[in-house]
Amino acid sequence: MPVTRIKEHPILGVQEKGNRIRFTFDGKEVEGYEGEPIAAALKAAGLMVHRYTKKEHKPRGIFCAIGRCTDCVMVVDGIPNVRTCITPLKSGMDVRTQYGVSDKPFDKQ
Amino acid sequence: MNRYDLIIVGAGPSGLSAAIEAAKRGMKVVVFDENEKPGGQLFKQIHKFFGSKEHRAKVRGFVIGQQLLDEADEVGVEVVLNATVIGLYQDKEVVVKIGDEVIHYKGDSIIIATGAAENMVTFPGWTLPGVIGAGAAQTMMNLHGVKPGQRVLMLGSGNVGLVVSFQLMQCGCEVVALVDAAPRVGGYGVHAAKVARTGVPFYLSHTIVKAEGDNKVTGVTIAQVDSSFKFIPGTEKHFEVDTICLAVGLSPMSQLLKMAGCEMEDNPKRGGQVPICDEYGRTSIAGIFVAGDVSGIEEASSAMIEGRMAGVVAAEYLGYVRAEEMEAELSVLDNALDGLRQGMFAPKNRGKEIAKTEEGIDISKNLLLHGFVGDDEIERFPGVTHKVGVHPVMECTQNIPCNPCQDACKKGCISIGANITSLPIVVDNSQCINCGMCVASCSGQAIFLVDEDCGDGTATVTLPYEFLPLPEVGAKGKGLGRNGQIVCDAQVVSVKSAKAFDKTNLLTIRVPKEYAMKARFFKAV
Amino acid sequence: MNSINDRSRDIGEFKSMPDDDMLICRCEEITKGEIRKAVHDGMWTLTEIRRYLRTGMGLCQGQTCSKLVKGIVARELGISPAELEPATSRVPMRPIEMKVFANEAEKLKEAN
Repeated sequence: MPVTRIKEHPILGVQEKGNRIRFTFDGKEVEGYEGEPIAAALKAAGLMVHRYTKKEHKPRGIFCAIGRCTDCVMVVDGIPNVRTCITPLKSGMDVRTQYGVSDKPFDKQ
Repeated sequence: MNRYDLIIVGAGPSGLSAAIEAAKRGMKVVVFDENEKPGGQLFKQIHKFFGSKEHRAKVRGFVIGQQLLDEADEVGVEVVLNATVIGLYQDKEVVVKIGDEVIHYKGDSIIIATGAAENMVTFPGWTLPGVIGAGAAQTMMNLHGVKPGQRVLMLGSGNVGLVVSFQLMQCGCEVVALVDAAPRVGGYGVHAAKVARTGVPFYLSHTIVKAEGDNKVTGVTIAQVDSSFKFIPGTEKHFEVDTICLAVGLSPMSQLLKMAGCEMEDNPKRGGQVPICDEYGRTSIAGIFVAGDVSGIEEASSAMIEGRMAGVVAAEYLGYVRAEEMEAELSVLDNALDGLRQGMFAPKNRGKEIAKTEEGIDISKNLLLHGFVGDDEIERFPGVTHKVGVHPVMECTQNIPCNPCQDACKKGCISIGANITSLPIVVDNSQCINCGMCVASCSGQAIFLVDEDCGDGTATVTLPYEFLPLPEVGAKGKGLGRNGQIVCDAQVVSVKSAKAFDKTNLLTIRVPKEYAMKARFFKAV
Repeated sequence: MNSINDRSRDIGEFKSMPDDDMLICRCEEITKGEIRKAVHDGMWTLTEIRRYLRTGMGLCQGQTCSKLVKGIVARELGISPAELEPATSRVPMRPIEMKVFANEAEKLKEAN
């Protein structure tokens, strides 16, 4: 998988991150940094599909990254429609792909 | 009741500037911002700003953001983050969501500095993961340290598209193409040139036909458009990319003002729905003011001045300064703002096609069509001269409000003169000492130090370099022309990184002397 | 505004276009064709379109699509987008959970 984290930046230097922690994405363990947006951790892990839409069942991911467009919403700790681009990551978080407004795939709804 | 002299919505460049001016004059000020961090877009701006000293020119955006925060803190401004203003009423009641609560505030005056939102364009596949706004790219890479993608296509050649393309490369992404439906590059030529010289191809009069991929972007097809923006069959080009970045303009985020009952207008020159206001931000409702992009899309530099104006006007409205004092302050700020609103890209020139510089020189056509000045065009600009020994070559070819180069040279080699938009000239009989300050201070990365003939058949070119890894002395590679194509062999003979250069490294390359005026970038091989 | 509201004006028949299936409102998944059809169904203002189709009524509250919808409606009516009154702005400006929205009274009691 390609390197997605910027280790050293020519202008910003080495970016300080919080503690390295674990959380789950659809039940699978993923690593991220505490306090970074959930979406950033997913992106760094190469995970781009955050949800499938209600009507057309189309994939969506990060679009605006500042909490406006709400395309990146997922089911986080059982709560749907959580904007992952502005919600800080915590250790042990249960992050799930959102299908419509549920974490159950459409064929199981 | 939570009551303040002044409530400001938005802690970006204009909101913070307004807060500082008002608090300095004794007002009790609170600033609400819906984001987790203050500074608006400033902390995503890692390039050096244009302007002159009073506009904080040659300082990088994120540094300006920190300066504003420190100043605001010093004068006792209260900044409340994660605070979403969900309502504003005529009587200056502000309803704010903070955490899990909704809280009512009353402001004796209000400044709305909510900024702008990104415009979007549609094409088949535009909802696929991997199609993102330019702002999203900046947020991911410059705030969160995550690359937006590996291979990116940028749509939009305005300053945002150009600056973000450069930033993408700085963090290690590959930009495969810069595309714009318009027939001419929309942003500053110097921003375009620094992208083009690294080898990014520009496709003007082109736009996206479709984004490809099932679950995420795997490719994109673009095609040329005619003058009525219809695709020309047979001109399709395909790129394998994982990311498509959209930078197609901004619209003022003015809904709160409309809600409050301010008179509004749809003004395409100002970017969309804006409040009707005077030059200092007074809206149709007494005591409600505006500053920054919410009242018309411009630059962060002008937003800061507009913010200061609104802060002073609000202070006068509540009697914290006398009218005469306000007038004096405003006339200083008027001059500062006027300086920024000059030149080819001034708001008054928006949409106009400008054929000649203020000096009467023909504008580079290549620059507008392809993003770089042609080898046959560069010699006609006054910053490009020939001398024995090392001398500055300033490839500054458009009238933009910017003059740090003139102050940077302690030997007086560079002059812009009283008019901030004039093209820089090399002063006759001046002696360049090869210090490199001009190269590092040029926000447009358009200055090179050239020794056209070292006496051994070679020439040296010193260029600004803001990428990693930094080549080492002795490294061999290729010299790239302004168009990003390989023109010659090149070897690094010096790498300078001084604190005064503020992260702009100076790379000196040795090239065959016939390429002294052609090689403008170095690529290690 | 009044001239736009003159519903006796003939805007012609709805004719389908090749890009009618283009998604415009990302949240509510409304297509260009649906918006164009709504205009021909008599929805000539953005407020009507919003009520009729729910464009801009989803999670993002029109942050992304309002300008696009405006352009489509204006073109269908043969007017400039600037002539179209934007849809009403009202509280809450951002999506908010009902339990948070209702959490105001408690706070006021404490404050007083």
